[in-house]
Amino acid sequence: MIIIRSLFYILIFPGVLFTAAFGLFLAGVDRKVVARMQHRIGPPLRQPMYDFFKLLGKETIIPHAANKIAFLAAPVIGFVSLALIMLFIPIFNFTAFSGSADLIVILYLITIPGVALIVGGSSSGSPYAGIGISREMVTMMAYELPFVLILLAVARKAGGDTLAFSMETISKWQAANGSMIAQWSMIPAAIAMLLVIPAEVGTQPFDVAEAETEICEGPLIEYSGAPLGLFKLNTAMKMLVMSGLFTSLFFGGIRTGFYILDVIVFMLICVAVTIVCMSTIHAVTARLKIEHLFKFFWTFVSGLALVSLILVWCGL
Amino acid sequence: MIQHFPVLAVMLLFLAAFCVEIFGSHNAGVRNTIVMIAATVAMVLIYALIKPVMIEGQIISYWMGNWEPVSGYAIGIGYEVDQLSLFFALLVVTTFWLSGVYSLGYMSKDHHLGHYYTLYLMLSGSVLGLVMTGDIFNMFVMIEIMTFASVALTAFRNDNEGALEAGFKYLVIGSMGSSFTLTGVALLYGQCHTLNMAQMSAILYQNLTPTSIMALALIVAGFGVKSYIVPFHTPAADAYMAAPTSVSMIFAGMVNKAGVYGMIRVLYTIFNAMDKSTVQMLIVIFGAVTMFIGVTMALTQHDFKRLLAFHSISQIGYVITAIGLGSALGLTGGLFHAMNHTLFKGLLFLTAGAVLYATGTTNLDKLGGLSKKMPKTCICFLIGAFSISGLPPFNGFVSKWLVYQAVYTKAVESGNFVYAIVTVVALVVSVMTLASFIKVTQAVFFGQCPVELKKTQEAPVSMLVPMYIMSALCVLAGLFYPLVNRFLLHPAAQSALNVTNYIDRMLGEGYAANMGVENIQVAPVQFSFWNPIVWLILFVVIFVAAGLVIIGSKEERGKMLQQGVKYDAKYATFFSGEEEMFSQVGGSDLFWGFKTDWKGYYRVLEGLHSGIVTDYAVYTVMATAIITVCMFVFMR
Repeated sequence: MIIIRSLFYILIFPGVLFTAAFGLFLAGVDRKVVARMQHRIGPPLRQPMYDFFKLLGKETIIPHAANKIAFLAAPVIGFVSLALIMLFIPIFNFTAFSGSADLIVILYLITIPGVALIVGGSSSGSPYAGIGISREMVTMMAYELPFVLILLAVARKAGGDTLAFSMETISKWQAANGSMIAQWSMIPAAIAMLLVIPAEVGTQPFDVAEAETEICEGPLIEYSGAPLGLFKLNTAMKMLVMSGLFTSLFFGGIRTGFYILDVIVFMLICVAVTIVCMSTIHAVTARLKIEHLFKFFWTFVSGLALVSLILVWCGL
Repeated sequence: MIQHFPVLAVMLLFLAAFCVEIFGSHNAGVRNTIVMIAATVAMVLIYALIKPVMIEGQIISYWMGNWEPVSGYAIGIGYEVDQLSLFFALLVVTTFWLSGVYSLGYMSKDHHLGHYYTLYLMLSGSVLGLVMTGDIFNMFVMIEIMTFASVALTAFRNDNEGALEAGFKYLVIGSMGSSFTLTGVALLYGQCHTLNMAQMSAILYQNLTPTSIMALALIVAGFGVKSYIVPFHTPAADAYMAAPTSVSMIFAGMVNKAGVYGMIRVLYTIFNAMDKSTVQMLIVIFGAVTMFIGVTMALTQHDFKRLLAFHSISQIGYVITAIGLGSALGLTGGLFHAMNHTLFKGLLFLTAGAVLYATGTTNLDKLGGLSKKMPKTCICFLIGAFSISGLPPFNGFVSKWLVYQAVYTKAVESGNFVYAIVTVVALVVSVMTLASFIKVTQAVFFGQCPVELKKTQEAPVSMLVPMYIMSALCVLAGLFYPLVNRFLLHPAAQSALNVTNYIDRMLGEGYAANMGVENIQVAPVQFSFWNPIVWLILFVVIFVAAGLVIIGSKEERGKMLQQGVKYDAKYATFFSGEEEMFSQVGGSDLFWGFKTDWKGYYRVLEGLHSGIVTDYAVYTVMATAIITVCMFVFMR
C-alpha cells in the first residue's frame, strides 16, 4: 500500500504528471496573457502541450562535436530534479515526502536544472552554446545571493529562537500565525522573490542566456526532437516549481478544510504569481545585458531581501 | 602489540625514504617495490587501528624508548593516537597511498625519480608523524620536515617555468610559519615546563596567562600558514601549480589537513580556547574571508591547476569557519568537509594531472573538447566538480549543509548578525565554486576541440585506478554519511571536545580530574531532513520513466555511420554559414559578464597578489600581529 501510494505521489501527484501538465498549463497562461497585453490573440492554452508532443515525434539530431551521453542525459536529469522538488514543496499542509528535505536541500535541487542546461549546452560543442552557458551561469550567481537572503529571512521568521530550515516548520508556523506575506517585515523579501522567479525561469527581461535574437537560444542551439522537448518542458516546470515555492513560503497557512479545495487554491495562487511576476514583466520590458542583470540582482534585489533579513533579525 | 603500530608506520616511511635513495636510485623496479611496500604497509597499519580506536574507543599511547613520566612530569617523547589523530591519519594514509600509485604512471616521464620518491616518503612520514605525535616539539620537527620536503617537491620539475620561484615563495613563507610555531612552543615550554600536549592541556585548563595567550596566537598563525588561510595563502597557488600533480594532491589532501589538524589540536585540546566567543569570532572571520577570496580568485584563473589551488584555499575556509564555531555540530561539519576536501580535491588534481599527462598543458585557453578523447577522466572530473560544488547527492553537499546549519544555528543562538552574514557568504561561495567548475568543464572537457589535441589518448590505467577509487569514495561518503558520522566524525569530534581521556591516557587515570579538567559528554550530531537513500530511489524511479521517452525518440546517426557515410552537414555544428568558427570568448574568460561588474574588486586583489615575496612576508607578519592583538585585547 505504501509503495502504491509512494508511486502515486512520485508519478502522478504532485510528482511527474501533475508538475508536467500544470507546468505546461502555466506556460500556456503566460503566453496567452503576454499576447493579450500586446493586443494579440495569442495561442490556445494547450499550445505548449502541443509543442511538447510535436517535438517528441521529431528526429533527434546529435552533432558530431557533441558528447553523446552528456548531451542526452542533461535534459533528463533536469526533468527528474524538477519533478523531485515538487515532492518536497508543501502544498499548504500536505507534503508528499515530509521530513526529507529542508530549505537548503531545495535551494540546491533548484540549481540542478540550471546545471543540467549548462552541461547539455556545453557538451554540444557549439560556440553559441558556450556564450549561452556563460550567461546562464552568471545569471545563477546573480539571483543566488538574493535567493539565499530571502530563504534565511523566512527561516528566521518562522523559526524564532530555534533554527527552522525545515519546510514543514515554516508551513506550520504560517498555519498558526497567518501567511508570511501578512507580516510587513517580509514584504521586501516577497518583492525580491517575485524578481528572482523570472530570472530563475529565464523569462524576459532576464532571458539573456537564451537570447534568441543574438545567440540563437544559446545552450539549446544544437538540440532537436525529444531532448529539446524536455528542455522546453523543464522551463515550464520551473515556472510551477518557483511559483509553488513562492506560494508555500509566503501564502502558506491558508486552509479550507477540504484537501481538493486546498490544491485548487494553491493552483490559483500559482497562476496569479505567474501572471504577476512573469507575464506582466515580460510584456513591458526588453532584455537586459548580462552585466546589468548581475548588478541589478546584487544591488537592488539583494538590498530588498537584506532589508527583510535585518528587520526580521531585529525581531519585527 | 597494537600500540606499536603508529610509530612503526612513521618509522617505516622514513626508513624507506633512505632505502629508496640507497638501493633504488638507478633501478626503477626496486624503487617502485620499496615505495609501494612502505606505503601499503603503513596504510594497513593505520587502518588496523580503526577497530580499537574508533569503534572500541581506546586511545593508543607509546613512550619512545620507554621514557615514562617521572614524578608527574612527562619528559620523554610520547605518541598518542586518539580518535581525532586517527581521523586525520586515515586521510593521510589514503592520500599518500593513492598518490603513490598515481605517481608510478604519472612520473614515469621524469628524471631523478629516486629523489622524488625519497622526498615523497619523507613528506608522507612527516605528516603522519605530525598528526599522531603527543609531543609539541616533535610536532614542530615534523612541521619542519614537511615544509622542506614540500619546498623541494614544489621545485622538483625545476626546468619548468616558475617552479623555482614557487619553491622560493613556499620556502620563505613556510619558514616564517615554522618560526612562529617554534616561538610559540618555546613560550609554552617556559610556561608549562613540559612539551607533552596532554600535560600542557591539563596545566593550561582555564588558566591562560599572558605568555600562553601569546603562544596561542603564534601557534595559530603558524598553523594558519600551513593550512593556507588568507592572507597566508600567497605561496599556495604557485606551489600547487608548479609541483607535479601527484604532489599537488598531497598538498591539498594532507599538508593542508596537517594545518587544520594543528589548529584543532591547539585550539581545542591544548588551550581549550574555543568556549571564548571572541576566539570563535576571530577564527570564523578568517575562515569566511578565506573562502570568499579563494573562490573569487579562482574565478579568474587561466590555468587548471592554479584554479584548483585557489579552490583548495576556499574550501579550507569552510573547514576553518566550521571548526571556529566551537560547537559539536560545527566541528562535525568541519571534520567532514576536511575529509571530503581530501577526497574531491585529490580527485580533481588527479584529473588535472591526467589532462597534463595526455596533452602537455593545463592552460584553459589551449584545451577543449577532451570529453570524447578522455571519457573516463571526464566522468571522474564531473563527479569531483559536482562534489566540490555541493550538488546533492554527492559528499560535498552533506558537509556544506552541516556547515550552513552550524553557522546559522550559531547566529540564532548568539543573536550575532555577523554569523548570519557568514552563512550568506558560505552559500554564495558555493554557487561561485559551481561557476568556476562549469568554466573548467566547458574549457577542458566540452566546448570545441583545438586541432593540436585531435590525437589525445586516454590516461594509463595506473592513473585511472586512483581516480576511480576517489570517485567511488566521493559518492559513497555522500550516500552513507550516517555511517561516516558514527564511525569517524562523531568519535573525532567527541575527542576534540572532551580532553579528559586524552590527558588521562598519557599521565595516568585521574590526572585530569585532579587538575580540574571537566569531563564533557557530547551527544552525536543528528542529521535531519536529508535522506539521500529516499532521494536516490525517487531519482531512479523518475529517471527510468523519463528514460523511456528518450529511448522512444528517433535517432538515425548510428544507422548512417554504419552505411559508411562519414560526414553529413546535418550533423555539423551550427556556425551561421561560416566555414568553421571558434568561440570569441576564451575558455578561461567565460565569466566576463561577472568580471565587468567586479572590476574594482579584482583590481584591488590583483594588486595584492603582486607575486613579490616581500609583500607576502609583510602580509604574514601583519596577520600574525592582528591575531596576536585580537587575542590579547579580547581574551582577558
